Amino acid sequence: MNPGPNETEAAAGQLREMIAAQFGRSLHIRTLDTGSCAVCEQEIRLLSAPHYDLHRLGFFFTPAPRHADLLLVTGPMVRAFGVAARKTYEAMPGPKVVVATGACALGGVYPQDPFVHGNVGEVLPVDVWIPGCPPSPLALLHGLGVAVGRLAERTPGLTFIAGEGGAA
Amino acid sequence: MNPLDILYGAGGAWLAAAVTGLLAGSWRPGVRACCGLSALAGGAAVAGGGWSLVYGNTRVAAPGPATIVGGPLELQMTSLAGVFVAVLGIVAVAIALYVPRYHQPSRGTGVYLAACNLAVLACLAVLTAGGMVTFLVAWETMSLACYLVILRHPRSDQTARGAFWFLALSEIGFLLVVAAFVILAAKTGATELSVMAARGHLVPGGWRAAAFLLALTGFGFKAGLVPLHVWLPEAHPVAPADGSAFLSGVVVKLGVYGIALFAFRLVPVDGSWPGLVTMFAGAVTAAIGILYALAERDIKRFLAFSTIENTGIIVTAFGAAMVFRSYHQLALSAFLLIAGLYHVANHGCYKSLLFLEAGVVEHATGTRDMDRLGGLVHRLPRSTVITFIGTLGIAALPPLNGFVSEWLIFQGLFQGFRTGSHLTAILIVLAAATLGLTGGLAIYAFVRGFGIPYLGMPRTRQAAAARETSQPVAGPALLAVACAALAVGAPVMLGALSRTARTVTGTSLGPLLLPGKLTVIPAHTDFSAFSPTYLAVFLAAACAVPFLIYVAGRPRAASVSVPVWDGGIVSFRPRMQYSAMTFSAPTRVTFDALYRPSVSVRRASDDDPAGRSGPVHYEAQVTPVFERYLYRPVIRAVEWLADAVRPLQSGDVNLYLLYLFGVILLAYLLGAV
Amino acid sequence: MPFWFARGLRRGIVTTRYPARPDQSAAWLPTPPAFRPGQLTRQDADRMVAVCPGPALRRRGDTLVFDAGACTACGKCIEAAPHAASSSGEFELATTVRSALIKEIPIRGGLR
Repeated sequence: MNPGPNETEAAAGQLREMIAAQFGRSLHIRTLDTGSCAVCEQEIRLLSAPHYDLHRLGFFFTPAPRHADLLLVTGPMVRAFGVAARKTYEAMPGPKVVVATGACALGGVYPQDPFVHGNVGEVLPVDVWIPGCPPSPLALLHGLGVAVGRLAERTPGLTFIAGEGGAA
Repeated sequence: MNPLDILYGAGGAWLAAAVTGLLAGSWRPGVRACCGLSALAGGAAVAGGGWSLVYGNTRVAAPGPATIVGGPLELQMTSLAGVFVAVLGIVAVAIALYVPRYHQPSRGTGVYLAACNLAVLACLAVLTAGGMVTFLVAWETMSLACYLVILRHPRSDQTARGAFWFLALSEIGFLLVVAAFVILAAKTGATELSVMAARGHLVPGGWRAAAFLLALTGFGFKAGLVPLHVWLPEAHPVAPADGSAFLSGVVVKLGVYGIALFAFRLVPVDGSWPGLVTMFAGAVTAAIGILYALAERDIKRFLAFSTIENTGIIVTAFGAAMVFRSYHQLALSAFLLIAGLYHVANHGCYKSLLFLEAGVVEHATGTRDMDRLGGLVHRLPRSTVITFIGTLGIAALPPLNGFVSEWLIFQGLFQGFRTGSHLTAILIVLAAATLGLTGGLAIYAFVRGFGIPYLGMPRTRQAAAARETSQPVAGPALLAVACAALAVGAPVMLGALSRTARTVTGTSLGPLLLPGKLTVIPAHTDFSAFSPTYLAVFLAAACAVPFLIYVAGRPRAASVSVPVWDGGIVSFRPRMQYSAMTFSAPTRVTFDALYRPSVSVRRASDDDPAGRSGPVHYEAQVTPVFERYLYRPVIRAVEWLADAVRPLQSGDVNLYLLYLFGVILLAYLLGAV
Repeated sequence: MPFWFARGLRRGIVTTRYPARPDQSAAWLPTPPAFRPGQLTRQDADRMVAVCPGPALRRRGDTLVFDAGACTACGKCIEAAPHAASSSGEFELATTVRSALIKEIPIRGGLR
C-alpha cells in the first residue's frame, strides 16, 4: 500500500515516450524472484508457451541483466535478497523499466518484518505494478504493454463498483 | 676468420667470468663485472652460432692446451651446432642480465657464479667438440657444474634430492653415451667426429643399431625422454630460477643435440626402424609430459614437465626426418630437420623466459604454488606482459614463434603418405595425432599456468603483497623480444636453417621451402603454404580494426562505471575462483588410467557426514608412475645386489690376500691364453 | 511425421490474438470483486473485512477501502456477501501509480 516513487507525471511522461520509442517492439525482460512461491514464475513461464507466445510481440527473456531492458520482479523482497536485487538493477544499462508483479510484490501479502520488506518498492524504483495472485499471462501481457507504452492503463478509470463504466 | 674464432673469444670470456665470479664472491661490483663478461660472451656466442648457420662446417682446429686426458682439445664448429650455440648465447645473455637483480649475495655466490659460467663454457665445448674425448670430457664437466648450480640453496632435503637425481641420471646417461662413442670409435678406427662420420659405412649393421640405441637412451636421459625424464621435475624446482632457465633452455637441448649428432652425422641410414623408434619415443614423451604438467601446482615443476613435452616434439620431428630419409624423401627429411631445429631455438627462448619469470614471481611473493597466487597482473604488470608473450609462444598460438615451428612440424608429419609404405604412413599419422593431442593439452595447460597465478584475485596475502620494483626485467624482456623476432623473422631464420640442412643432409631445399620472400612451404609445392610475417601483420591489423571502430563510433553520452556483474552475490571472495587443481580436474578424470589418482578424506569425527563437526582434510595424489614402477624396483635391485656382495668386504686381511692371489692368477692365465 | 504436426494441422492456430483482439479464455479468469454500494451495509463490510485473508479490504468509517493490488481473487468476500459483491471480470489492472489501485467504496448506512 505504499505509493511507488515514480509519481511525478512530467518525468514519467518523458520516460514513457523514450521507452515507447525504444522498446515498443523489441524488449528484453529479466525476471527476478525475490522470494515468491514461484506461481508467478509459472505464469511468466507460460508467456513463452505457444498459446500466449511472447515472441510475436517482440519481447524476449534474457538471463543477463546487462542485456535486459525491463526487470520483472516477483516476490515480497526478502531482506536477504536486497543486495542482489539492487546489484541486478544497477547492472542493467539505462534506459530501464522495473515492473513489480504479483500481490506479494505489491505489498498485499506480507507485512514488513525483520525478514521481509513486504513490497518491492522499498528497494527498487518500480515503474509499473501488475496485481494478481498470480497475475494471469493475459494480465502480464497487458502490464508489459503498459510498461512499454503500447497499451493504455485502465486502472485509474476503474471504480470496482458494479454497473458503472469500467467494471463488470 | 671463421665462426670458431669468435667462439674462442666467447669461451675465453666465460672462463674469465668464472674466475671473476669466484673471486668476487658476494661483492656487488664484482658480481656485475662477472655478469657483464658473461653477457659479452653470450653475445659473441650468438654471433658465432648465427654465422655458422650459413658458413658450413669449419675444419677441425688443432688448438691450444692439451688436456690431461687423451691429448689436445679438438674443436669444430658445425652448422648443426650453430642453432644450439646461438640459443646458448642468448640464454646466457638473458641470465647474465637477470642475475645481479635476482640473487641476494650470500656465502655461496662466488662458487655459484663460477659454476654457472663453467657450465656454460662446458656446454659450448660440447657443442664445438670435434673429437670424442673432448666431447665426453666437456659433457662430464657440464654435468658436474650443473650439479653445483642446482645446489645453490642447500636449504632442505629437497634440494639434495633434486640435485642427486640430476647427477645420478646424468651419470647413467653418460655411461651409455661413452659406450656408444666407443663402439663407433672402435669400428671406424678414429676419434675425430668428422672422420667418424666419413667412415660411418665401415660400421656393421648390428653395431650401428646398438650405437644408435645407446646414444638415444644416453642422450635421452639428458634430454628428458620418458621414462628417463625423472630428474627434470625434481631438479628444476630446487634450482635457482636462472639455473632452471639454463637447465631447460640449454642443457636439455644438449641431449637433443646429441641425438641429432648420432642420427644425422655419425650413424648412417639403416632402414626405417631407428627413425620410427625415435619418433615413437618423442610422441609418447610429448603426450606424457604435458599430461603430468597438468597435475602440477608448483610453477617450476609444471614448466619442467612442459620442457619434457617440447623435447618430445623436437625428437618426434627428428625421428620423422630419419624415417623420411630412409624412404629417400630427402626434401621432407631436410624440412623436418629444419623444423626441429627451429623449435629448439624457439623453446630455448620462451622456456628460459618462463623460468626467469617464475623466479621473479617467487622473489616477489615468496611462493611457487599456483594456488597461493593470483592477481599478479595488477601488481607485476611488466612481468605479466613478458610472461604473456612467453605463454603465447609456448602454447603455440599465432602469431608467435611456437606456432610457426609446430605448424611446420605438423605439415611435415602430415606428408607421411609420401613414404609409400602404408604401415609407416599410419605410424607417422599416429605420431601427428599424438602431437595434436599434446598441442591442445598445452594450450589448456598454459591457460592454467598463466591464468591462475596472474589473473583474478590474489588468493593469499603474500600474493597481494607482490611489488614490481627491483624485479629483474631486462633479461626476460630480451627473450621476449627474441621470441617476437623469431616469429616475424621466421622466413629469415628458415632460410639460414635451410643452409644448415644442406650442410648436414646434403639436400638443398631453396625454393621448396621459401618460394617467395615471405612464404613457407613444406618441401613440396602441392601441399600447403603459410607466411608467418603476413600472419603477424594481419593479426595486428585485425586487432586494430575493432579498436578503430570503437574510437570512431564511441557513444558521446556520459558513461557510468558500475561493478562487474557477478550474479548478485554479496561479496566476491578469492576462494570462489578456480584453483589450479580444479581447473585441470577434467584431465585428471579423463586420463585417470595414467594418473591413478588416490583421494583420502579425513573428518574430525563421523558424527555429521556433512563435515560440520570439524575440519575436513582432503588430499588428492597423483601416482608417480615412473618412480614407483620403474625406478624404485631398479633401485631396490641395486641395493639388494650391493647387500649380497657385502660379505666380500669382510675386513679380513687374509681374505683380501686371497682375492689378490686369485686375480693375479686369472690375469696370468688370460694373458697366457 | 511427428504427431504434433498432424495435430497442429487439425486444430489450427491456437495462439491468442491478445492484445490486438480480446481473448475468450479471459472469461474464466478469477478476478477481483466489484461491489454494489446500494446493497453494501456496514455489517456486510465488516464481514467481508474479517473474511478477507489479506489486507485488501479495510473499513474506514463509512468507506470500504479496497486495495486491488493486494487482492488475490480468492472470492471469500463474494461468498460472505453475495448481494453486495460479485466478480468484476477485470484483469487488465496494470498501473504506473500504486495508489491508483486503492479504491474507495461508499457503504450504505443501515444495520441489516
